[in-house]
Amino acid sequence: MRSRFLSCLLAAGMLLGAAVSADAAEKLIVYTSMKESLIGKLRDGFVKKHPDIAMDYQSAGAGKLMAKIAAERESGKILADVVWTSEVPDFYNMKNEGILAEYVSPLLSEILNPFDDSVKGFFAPARLGTLGIAINTRFIKTPPTQWADLSNKEYRGAFGIANPSLSGTSYMSVALLVKQFGWEFIEKLRDNKAKIGKGSGQVIDDTASGDLVASLAVDYITNDKISKGATLSLVYPPEMLVVPSPVAIMKNSPNMSAAQKFVDFLLSREGQTVIASEGTLPVRGDVPVPDVFKLPKPADAMKRAIKIDYLQIIKEKENTVKKFSDILQGKS
Amino acid sequence: MSTQSKKKPFIGTAGIILFLSIAILVVFVAFPVILILFNAFWAKGEFNLVDVVNVLREPDTYQALLNSVFIACGTTIGSTIVGTFFAWLVTRTDLPYKNFMKGLFLVPFMLPSFIGALAWKMLLSPRAGYINRFFMDYFGFEEPVFNIYSYYGIMAVEVMYLFPFVFIQVCGALERMDPTLEESARISGAGLFTITRRITIPLVLPSILSGSLLIMLYSMAHFGTVAVLGIENGIFNIPTLIYERIHQSAGSFAAIRTGTVLATVLVVSAAFIIWLQGKILSKGRYQIIAGKSFRPMELKLRGLRYPLLIFCLAYIGFTIVLPTAVIFMVGGLKTYGLPFTMENLSLDNYKFILFDYKTTKDAIWNSVSLGLSAAVITMFAGVMISYVIVKMKVRGKGVLEFLGMLPFSVPGSVIALGVILAWSGKFGINLYNSVWIILVAYIARYMAFSLKANSAALEQVHDSLIEAARACGATMWQSLRDIVLPLVKPGMFAAFFLIFLPSLRELTVSIMLYAPTTRTIGVAIYTLNEDGETVMSAALAGIALVIIITGQTVISRLTGASAKG
Repeated sequence: MRSRFLSCLLAAGMLLGAAVSADAAEKLIVYTSMKESLIGKLRDGFVKKHPDIAMDYQSAGAGKLMAKIAAERESGKILADVVWTSEVPDFYNMKNEGILAEYVSPLLSEILNPFDDSVKGFFAPARLGTLGIAINTRFIKTPPTQWADLSNKEYRGAFGIANPSLSGTSYMSVALLVKQFGWEFIEKLRDNKAKIGKGSGQVIDDTASGDLVASLAVDYITNDKISKGATLSLVYPPEMLVVPSPVAIMKNSPNMSAAQKFVDFLLSREGQTVIASEGTLPVRGDVPVPDVFKLPKPADAMKRAIKIDYLQIIKEKENTVKKFSDILQGKS
Repeated sequence: MSTQSKKKPFIGTAGIILFLSIAILVVFVAFPVILILFNAFWAKGEFNLVDVVNVLREPDTYQALLNSVFIACGTTIGSTIVGTFFAWLVTRTDLPYKNFMKGLFLVPFMLPSFIGALAWKMLLSPRAGYINRFFMDYFGFEEPVFNIYSYYGIMAVEVMYLFPFVFIQVCGALERMDPTLEESARISGAGLFTITRRITIPLVLPSILSGSLLIMLYSMAHFGTVAVLGIENGIFNIPTLIYERIHQSAGSFAAIRTGTVLATVLVVSAAFIIWLQGKILSKGRYQIIAGKSFRPMELKLRGLRYPLLIFCLAYIGFTIVLPTAVIFMVGGLKTYGLPFTMENLSLDNYKFILFDYKTTKDAIWNSVSLGLSAAVITMFAGVMISYVIVKMKVRGKGVLEFLGMLPFSVPGSVIALGVILAWSGKFGINLYNSVWIILVAYIARYMAFSLKANSAALEQVHDSLIEAARACGATMWQSLRDIVLPLVKPGMFAAFFLIFLPSLRELTVSIMLYAPTTRTIGVAIYTLNEDGETVMSAALAGIALVIIITGQTVISRLTGASAKG
């Protein structure tokens, strides 16, 4: 009896182990910094349209994903077929290192594309992420009207920015704010005891819980929490932070056709409608954003946005991150 | 049949078993560890000690080392005091419901400490923690009562969930201690204080110390609590720094090197602690084990009986019930930060996690199948290896004994780093990003549990039984199958569950090795929390607790039955 039980256990263990690595028809793995609320819905829509493709995704901060890709390159096999984050410099770097596949989507001509022609076909924006100030309305009664308001007393010790070495949107925002207002802006934040948080999701969760009263926040993550009842409000100062989130296909992807279908889906009306309905800006002018989110029109947002000099931003990335952390941690 | 044909298979079987045992330990445990040592000390094509010192002198690594030691010391001291006090209370006093209370004090073992840390984050984070908010809102406190994001916060949480190590050891020692020793001291006119100081404490000190050292070892190499409460606020210890370096610097040479040097420090200190523990235990054991026929003298608590009982219950309520309740409640919230009212609470998150959310469904499935596979493989490998160590008299056994010690002194993050070095393609096999690399690491990590349980069972099988079978003409294989295996089955069962249950809540190893589709339950809870999905991570933690507690209950019934039958 016992030995039969044991051998059953053994067999079960082996079977289970084998089943974990069972293969599906056509596979697709997307590495993205988009959170579950957004990428989950996109996956559902995509799989519905292409039922023969088994899509999986790894959702994590851009910094972590790039580290993972680098580690995978070392080991000889990149698992990701498609990469979609908000850390624009990474895409320029990957293109220069020659690990991106060239694919000119037929839908490319229909979208708002802030990137220059030299990268055309290597990566394309799939979303125009906006960042504003998320405030917890339990603590902040009068919303801030401009960035300088963050030096006010009510934000003392309770304003957070996601760690720019982990979060792509956070890095882009810091770079843009420094470009617009100079390092004095960050120094003023330090004088008001602003905090470096972890990922872009966590600072918003901390704001919702009240550990922070406000944070530099990504649009759709904040809107997702608001729709679940969080006492948050997202405010956009006049100088807007608009960060495009590029999507690219990895060069040695074994699932090239699935990857191309996914990029097409992202840029299509269908995909962009999902993106807009989660409270972030679409890259298509023909997709309306629901009014509840109080987001500006994509074209207006681009006009209000602090202009991005991509080449500059790539060159200065390491220094910017270091200087930012040093200032906020009181090292300089 | 001639004698020759009987003899040949014997040597064959023994040889094969010995060879297999050594091979398993070398491939799964020794090889990764050797690679770590090699990478740490071998730089730029030569043996290089200066470089190792340089790595250790970098401010970040140096600070992490100090933190590891500081946190481990604080945790050890705290747990020793708490564990010894409660052990004394349930064995040596007339506390009401003693046996029940003794069972209760073992419950903290079931709660994975990183889930505990998660709960305490919700209760005591400086501005939003429920306890802090309660005092600020209702009693007008300006500052939070306690900030959990601190060294003391981390230590407190570790003490809450680690003190049973000391508790069990000291309970055992106090129960086995010969009460006549105390009795005779009392007859000779010594007071209670003198007896405690001169007789009781010296006798149980080895057990207290050995339990403390276990905690020290565990805490130095502990990832979860520091990861949840420390990283965000710049508090790193050795395992969390290894994790951050490997994850953020893209497997670059410098990161791997820092990792291996730190891992070496962990291995060396673990080996030292285990050696010290062996020394202390071998010194103390013969004095403690004595006749069991006497009832130890009980201290009359008198008027303190019920206050102390209430204190114990309050302690359990505060450290176990409250955090568990918070996990389940927050898991039911629509979004973190909402008050606990009926319209904000629902079972939606739990439903989502169990049925709709692919990441968590995968995670539960991965953990269960990895746990089963690792437990089964390790159980069989462990019984074979322990058989060679305990029973066989063959040449080359010494090597195996040394190798068999290795799993005990290799912490989880070291194993994880080692398997990355060993199995990501540099030696022909590439398991990176697959479940198999986690399985390989689990086998290495849990081998120690299996060896312990199985050799304990094998030591109870007297050699004469096997000799009798052999004298009657049974082959080596027959005597194994008909005599040894049936007798060690309880040990094998114990090994199976000792591995299966902890692997369900494993975090330290899998956090270093997971890929998109190979998250374990621990990894999923941790990454959800890190992504700011606090309610989801709480809901998954709640589900994990249900699985672990159900498993534990079913299993203690099962093993209880099988041990009797």
